[in-house]
Amino acid sequence: MSEIGLLQSALLLGVYVALAGSYGLVYTIARIQDAISLYRLSLVLYGLHGLTAIAIVAWTPLHIGWKGLIVASSAAFLAIPPITWRLLQRTHEPEVRG
Amino acid sequence: MYRSQKLALKYLTAAITLFGIMTVAGLMSAYYYINPDFLFGILHFNIAKILHIDTMIIWLLMGFMGAIYWFLPEEFGRELVGIKLAEILFYVFFGAVVVVAVVFIVVQYGNSDETALWFINQGRKYVEAPRWAAIGVVVVMAVFAYNVIGTAYVTGKVSGITAVLMVDLVPLLVLYLDAFPAISNMSADLFWWWWLVHLWVEATWEVLIGCIMAWSLMQLLGTSRRIVETWLYIEVALVLGTGILGLGHHYFWIGAPSYWLTIGGLFSAFEPLPLLGMVVHAVYDAGTHHMKTTNRPAFYWLMAEAFGNFLGGGVWGFMMTLPQVNLYAHGTQWTVSHGHFAFWGAYACGVLSVIYLVIQKLRSLTQVDGALWKWSFAALNLGLVGMVGALLVSGFAQAFIERAIGGSTHDAFIAGQSSPWFVEGMVTRFIFGLMFAAGYVALVWDLLTIGKRAPVLATAGAAE
Repeated sequence: MSEIGLLQSALLLGVYVALAGSYGLVYTIARIQDAISLYRLSLVLYGLHGLTAIAIVAWTPLHIGWKGLIVASSAAFLAIPPITWRLLQRTHEPEVRG
Repeated sequence: MYRSQKLALKYLTAAITLFGIMTVAGLMSAYYYINPDFLFGILHFNIAKILHIDTMIIWLLMGFMGAIYWFLPEEFGRELVGIKLAEILFYVFFGAVVVVAVVFIVVQYGNSDETALWFINQGRKYVEAPRWAAIGVVVVMAVFAYNVIGTAYVTGKVSGITAVLMVDLVPLLVLYLDAFPAISNMSADLFWWWWLVHLWVEATWEVLIGCIMAWSLMQLLGTSRRIVETWLYIEVALVLGTGILGLGHHYFWIGAPSYWLTIGGLFSAFEPLPLLGMVVHAVYDAGTHHMKTTNRPAFYWLMAEAFGNFLGGGVWGFMMTLPQVNLYAHGTQWTVSHGHFAFWGAYACGVLSVIYLVIQKLRSLTQVDGALWKWSFAALNLGLVGMVGALLVSGFAQAFIERAIGGSTHDAFIAGQSSPWFVEGMVTRFIFGLMFAAGYVALVWDLLTIGKRAPVLATAGAAE
């Protein structure tokens, strides 16, 4: 791995997870406030996360297996907020109904 | 108030005191990087560093124990079994910590023999305490386990949270036994040492804090037991599922078989996934309660826990966990940056949240709020973020100049250490360390006086 490749890879990996977290954060706020604009913003953030994943696959010298893992993780990151949200609603449902 | 809860107050007071010592020792360690002549011939860097990291372990452990001694009697509806023994052992524990610290400062080091291992320093990072003190820790933890399991046995009441806690106490105790062997083969020694360090921190401690946060949520937001227990099971399963074999990321470069590169990298890459779920959960809880609570500092520290865990463990960890990057990053200030952020987010914020909950009950406050906790919250968190940012820059410089360009030679090490990026990172870290220390002072002052000064903090008695 070249010197620049090292820093590029590390920063892209950090941004990759940070954007996944931002997507989850904004997605949850959007659902709580029922705000379509925030929901769209969450999709934009996920789009940026996806672009970061593409950049990792295209530009970094990581081995192919790790690149595959990055792509698979992106799919998991997409699903986690809605799944967690549904589970939260289901577990809190009896309380909400009072 | 139960005797266990009085004991909890002692543990939490000791935890906050040791938090202060950790901060001072951390500032000293940071200053050595700016002025290597500091206390030359009097107190070496390694001693300040030992004090910094060992007090960090002990204050968090005492914080966990304090939290559990606080919540458990209410959980069981009675005093804990063996409480007298636990009370005695608190003084033994705290006294032993003081004696060990004095030995570290005054004696500092010994010969490479059994006497030094028993009475001065075991020489293994995080568990430097000499053997006699390490045996003391085992006894304290055994009595702690007896308090919990014995009370559950006598009352016949085992809730989901206490069941998880009891199961967790077994590896918590057993893994600590790894503090004792003195193995001369360094690879073998590190292999087992990581069982203690990693599996305490990324497995058993995660479960402990999960149980503590479950009780905190019930008290702070009135969340039902059914909900917190369901999520405790899910989150503990996910964290353990990724965290246990995530141990492999410590085996990359210690001479362990090469399959650990795949196992460690794979499971470490999974580690941010449950942390994202925790962020969603925290935001859900905050949103459904419209950020309203009777204890704002406890609530904000609870939120800081979820976000700090994600950023420190997830983002910072993922930057350096894949083997190809870790080859250059391990053992640099980059790792230190990750360690600071992850410990703060995953554990320290949670303990501080519990302390505010305890104070609310102790002083019968209907509302806990004010200005000072906000100052301490801001200074501690900004100070911490500033420190980890600066350490990250210095770590990047080391990985780039010393490792990637220089190939880890001695000259490359010197070039990395004298690079302006590294040096300025160290200075910036120290400045933000001072901000963190100011936050600690504000925190202590707030804890001592909250509920006694501001008129908005009406007591339950006054409200009636």
